[in-house]
Amino acid sequence: MREKGNFNFLRWIKSAKVNKVLCIITFMLVPLTLLFVFTYLPFGKMIGFSFYDMKYIGNREFVGLENYLEVFTRDDCFRALKLSLYYIGASFIQLALALYFASLLSFKTRGGGVFKGFMFFPYLVCGIAVGFIFKFFYTRGFVLDTVLQWCGFELDNLPYWLRDTKINNFSVAATSIWRYMGQNMVLFIGAIMSVDASLYEAAAIDGASGWDKFKYIIFPSIKTIIVLNLILSITGSLSAFEPPYVITGGNFGTGTYFVIMNKLAHESQKVGLASAMAVVLLVIILVATLLQKLFFRYFFGEGEEEAIRTVRKRKKKEALEQQKMANGGEV
Amino acid sequence: MRKNFKRFLAMALTGAMTLSLAACGSKDEGKKEEKKDEEFTLTLDQIKLGEDHTNVKADLKFLTHKTDRVDNKFQEYIKEFQKLYPNVNIEYEGITDYANDITTRLTTGDWGDICMVPTTVDKDELENYFVSFGDKSQLGSVYDARFLNNFAYSDKVYGMPSMVNVQGIVYNKKVFDEAGVTTLPKTPDEFLEALKKIKDNTKVAAPLYTNFAADWTMNAWDAYIAGNATGDADFMHEGLTKGKNPFSDRGDQTGPYAVYNTLYEAVKRGLTEEDPTTTDWEGSKGMINRGEIGCMVLGSWSIPQMKESGDNPDDIAYMPFPITVNGKQYAAAGPDYCYGINVNSSNDQKTAAMCYIKWLIEKSDFAEFEGGITAVSGAKLPDALSSFESIDLVVDNAAPAGEETLFNDVNNDSELGINASGAIPKEVLEAATKGDKTMKDMVKEWNEKWTTAQEKHDIKHE
Repeated sequence: MREKGNFNFLRWIKSAKVNKVLCIITFMLVPLTLLFVFTYLPFGKMIGFSFYDMKYIGNREFVGLENYLEVFTRDDCFRALKLSLYYIGASFIQLALALYFASLLSFKTRGGGVFKGFMFFPYLVCGIAVGFIFKFFYTRGFVLDTVLQWCGFELDNLPYWLRDTKINNFSVAATSIWRYMGQNMVLFIGAIMSVDASLYEAAAIDGASGWDKFKYIIFPSIKTIIVLNLILSITGSLSAFEPPYVITGGNFGTGTYFVIMNKLAHESQKVGLASAMAVVLLVIILVATLLQKLFFRYFFGEGEEEAIRTVRKRKKKEALEQQKMANGGEV
Repeated sequence: MRKNFKRFLAMALTGAMTLSLAACGSKDEGKKEEKKDEEFTLTLDQIKLGEDHTNVKADLKFLTHKTDRVDNKFQEYIKEFQKLYPNVNIEYEGITDYANDITTRLTTGDWGDICMVPTTVDKDELENYFVSFGDKSQLGSVYDARFLNNFAYSDKVYGMPSMVNVQGIVYNKKVFDEAGVTTLPKTPDEFLEALKKIKDNTKVAAPLYTNFAADWTMNAWDAYIAGNATGDADFMHEGLTKGKNPFSDRGDQTGPYAVYNTLYEAVKRGLTEEDPTTTDWEGSKGMINRGEIGCMVLGSWSIPQMKESGDNPDDIAYMPFPITVNGKQYAAAGPDYCYGINVNSSNDQKTAAMCYIKWLIEKSDFAEFEGGITAVSGAKLPDALSSFESIDLVVDNAAPAGEETLFNDVNNDSELGINASGAIPKEVLEAATKGDKTMKDMVKEWNEKWTTAQEKHDIKHE
């Protein structure tokens, strides 16, 4: 009792309970500070900027929602968003290819390691360098044209890969397939590796073909990672920036949403408007992700969980059967 | 024993940390006070090089866009300068994407001592970032006052031009001779005809090379719409910033329309490179040197680079832009990047920086070496610009007090990016290549955007 009245700081700070809390706080402090200073603080600032008419240097003027109104009334912002369709299309091809190679390479293949290495390598090259590589790749009479000429094409019949507005978006989006396919593949291989090998054996004994194995064993086991990759690819497609910025500079109709945003912020110094564009894109991406998640949950389920659709179907079936039973009982 | 030692160590560490924190704080305070005490009053015209301030001790950091000169030419300059000022150390930092990066660097305040002032700083903000070199009237006794306007605000000059560019066209003389172009073209029509001759009579595939993919090279076209195309030193302010529909066709092959239309027609008639999206800037220098390109529309700074990049430096020449106003040809001249001194540097650093900048402008061969002229009054034209002797140089007049930022404001709000992003020339080239828009459509569009921006800043037309 005597001790309670007489507060002993040393004893208090040494007590296990306080020590535990102190430990937690000190360990959390560094990462949380970093997270706050470099992620949430700039983000909060950007949201703040979006309500101002401002340049990088100089006075700013509060304009409320005017910037947001402009984002929705300008015709170039949302037209640029349409270009994301090219990149979304590319991401589907990219995932399909990655899945194909991953299924092949996760079994014993001659030279499998080398192939994995080769296909993963582009991901290690920095995006800007990839841009330069493809600028030369598509240059008239350079790599692509030469290869096509070997295949018997005439140079005069070949299009200008980056100038022709009908195909230049395909050319640019194709570079992201080249770059990210390997990375997706490695993720898929990792997931496929975790599948119990005895399942394949059992399937082989039952006479399952390669496609059957993929359809009934591999695909259901790596569903989660496929969904994750799809979501990442689609959100990535909405914010495509590096390929068009480096390869074409956003000219000849290849300016994606981010490229337009960058132009407004750095060339016309409309920082407020560009910030508003960023916030709008963030909301779009959030909505898109949410929709995708709901979609996949409904059709494929998540992790160990069953798809909502299957559950519903089963319940319906059960209900029907019960009804039948009941009816049958009566009849 | 052990426990005690650990405890002691912990205490000592905490103590040291707290102390060092406190030390940091007090140091900063001291610095700030010192700044307030002594005001910096030195001006550039007062300094006598090699006589004044020769004992000044300072370490300077110099941010520059000339990344290719940092390790060679600039080191020679430092050595020469240290003969006069032995206690001044200068460290150059080359920035590749200078125009974009420097704005961000400036906002931090702690970027170095000397930099090339970016155009993104509005005039009324200059004093918050840079030291004044003196009053314009005072400096005008030594330097050509027309070149001091770019970064002058209420008569104080915050940026000294490293050199003055003359705007014309860099071309390969041999190619023009071979094509049978004997006299230099003086109007857009003559110019297009000359390009046609090159296309027909020589093997040159691109009589005019736009370097579209490099982006900033298109921006260069904007520099010709004022002085070169009108001969009017007030055009930038009166004609463009405040004028009504400045992009309209004037009908006499002058004005902004004539410049952009020249580009449009050249592209449309196939007188430029086949595929503009894959041009290569570094490669183009060698191509013009070897005679594979006829000409390029770039400032006089480009001359030395074209000469250096091949075996035929003598074939490279420079001609005025082919626009004639009332029987006379003009060439716009304007400061290149200007030197600026950090307002947050110490007084010694500021003094040393002033001396070095004065030395660079007056004593070094920087301007001539880079294809320009110096800002010193009555400077002679270098040999490379011999075809400009009979031509009047036009230097844009400063906007009147109170309207200094007007051009930037209208330009930014219109998103036409004149002298900033090259949005207009890029659009012209795209339209001419795709053939989907005529000059008429585009001019209407530009005028509308420009007028809307003008209205936002209370510019009215009767």
